[in-house]
Amino acid sequence: MIEIKNIYQAYGDFKVLDNVSLTLQEHKITALIGANGAGKSTLLGVLSRLLSPSEGDILVDGTPIHQMKSKEIAKKIAILKQTHQLHIRITVRDLVSFGRFPHSQGRLTKTDQEKIDEVLEYMSIQDLENRYLDELSGGQRQRAYIAMILAQDTKYIFLDEPLNNLDMRYAVEMMTILQKMVKELNKTIVVVMHDINFAAAFADHIIAMKDGKIIVEGSTDDMMDKKILDHIFDHDFCIAGVNGRKVCIYYNNQEHMKIEEIKGEILS
Amino acid sequence: MRHHKNVWMMLIVLSIVAILFYLFFWMLTTPYDLFPSDPERADRMLSAIKSILSRKSSQVMAMIISAILISSTSLIFQTLTNNRILTPSLIGFDAIFVLVQTVIVFFFTSSSIVYVNPYINFLVAATLMIVLSLLMYRLILRKNRNHIIFLLLVGMVLSTLSRSLATFLQTVMDPEEFQSLLIRTEVSIANMNTTIIWLSLPLMVLIVILIVKNFRSYDVMSLGESQAIGLGVDYAKKLNWGLIYIALAMSISTAMIGPISFLGLIAVNAAREILKTYKHFPLFIASSLIAIIFIVLGQGIIVETGYLTTVTVLISMIGGAYMIYLVLKENKT
Repeated sequence: MIEIKNIYQAYGDFKVLDNVSLTLQEHKITALIGANGAGKSTLLGVLSRLLSPSEGDILVDGTPIHQMKSKEIAKKIAILKQTHQLHIRITVRDLVSFGRFPHSQGRLTKTDQEKIDEVLEYMSIQDLENRYLDELSGGQRQRAYIAMILAQDTKYIFLDEPLNNLDMRYAVEMMTILQKMVKELNKTIVVVMHDINFAAAFADHIIAMKDGKIIVEGSTDDMMDKKILDHIFDHDFCIAGVNGRKVCIYYNNQEHMKIEEIKGEILS
Repeated sequence: MRHHKNVWMMLIVLSIVAILFYLFFWMLTTPYDLFPSDPERADRMLSAIKSILSRKSSQVMAMIISAILISSTSLIFQTLTNNRILTPSLIGFDAIFVLVQTVIVFFFTSSSIVYVNPYINFLVAATLMIVLSLLMYRLILRKNRNHIIFLLLVGMVLSTLSRSLATFLQTVMDPEEFQSLLIRTEVSIANMNTTIIWLSLPLMVLIVILIVKNFRSYDVMSLGESQAIGLGVDYAKKLNWGLIYIALAMSISTAMIGPISFLGLIAVNAAREILKTYKHFPLFIASSLIAIIFIVLGQGIIVETGYLTTVTVLISMIGGAYMIYLVLKENKT
């Protein structure tokens, strides 16, 4: 179980995280949403010990994270940041092998090799294993990174905007894989996202942040509410129902509506 | 898997080339004259290289030690700063070492034990270097890690500043002090300082062992800081120790063979080009071999051309052109 208590984080006078407390829901996909600069990535960084907070505690199974060895944390928590600018040329298999580092310290055993084969197959990229990362499409590359995270064999997986730069088909594919990972492999996944509709369609739980605070959290269905979303993003949304699911439309202001109407007339 | 085999094949080939290279000169140094009827020029070139390798063994050793230290620490410096162009000497480490020596003479005078005793002198200078390099990382390198052009500029300014400061101190110095300072600062491959060889040899072995032991972590660190931390590497610790190894290695090599700005850059990048791997161990071996070959061949050419210039200038010329190529290539992607 991961819980955080009264976390503060500041850059200079600017409070990025302001008294944040949270208990992660196990075996679920939690979406972390909020406007740009609301503190989502910082919260994820703090949760995964990439950043140490100015104040407050992070407890992993009851132990404060700063008392744990980095190596031990890496067996429990895997984190993937949004930018992976690589200065090295590396094959998919080598990248995925790095996921075994917390377990083998770089000396791959037979068990490690089997685990690597297993995750390559799970992400269906086994035929890409000898290709170089820079030869792959964005979607394939992202799957290779997820495979590395999966090879790390952790209970918790934190992803910072994993849908960035993915087209809709790959984004849906990625979220479906994450859902499968929760269901089949019993993972607990936290994802920072920008697209509310992706959160609505794939997440079980949504945490909304604004100005460094968690302002609301709840089940996806409760959170897909005009009043709540308008407050989170300071924007005018329209919630509609499609196939029994709530969908949120962002371009809800008057002018756009008129354009839509005109277009509709022309089309009909 | 096939790819790994290629890497090892290349390494083996390189090692064989290096061994042949060495055997070749070893044969030359034997009494038999193997090339009696060769054209004069080639003969002179060979005897030049022969004379380098048949110099006092302490000098050959100093060259090899420095080559290994320069290439291995340039390699890990690139991993720690996450780029392929900067090396410790490009950011000004060797110029700072000359400044440190000058400051020691300036404040302690050349007759003090800190200057006269080569061991104490080296230890004091190396300690100062470690402090300065840690400071430099905190203040400049960490924040601007992704701005290579900016860092190159900083390196240039730092080198020039250190050199000018050293020159300034040397001008206001007592002329006799200045004379004795030259022993420590005007060091080059033609004019090596081997007095600390028995300190630098074990230190090199120690540094190399420590670096090699960390190669698997450095491999992970080439994925970038956050990914390396996520995979359980104690990044801050590895980084600080890495900087200490680098500062020590630069002190040793600069003290023995003087500054050679572009050697690390050439050796590491050539090794990367040839082996096409990111793994530190094969890169370390290949770049060390390349650095050794470069120093020896370079010195051969210099001797052959009748000391018209120095190896440092020659290597800077090749290395400078190579760096421009690398910067342009990096900017394209």
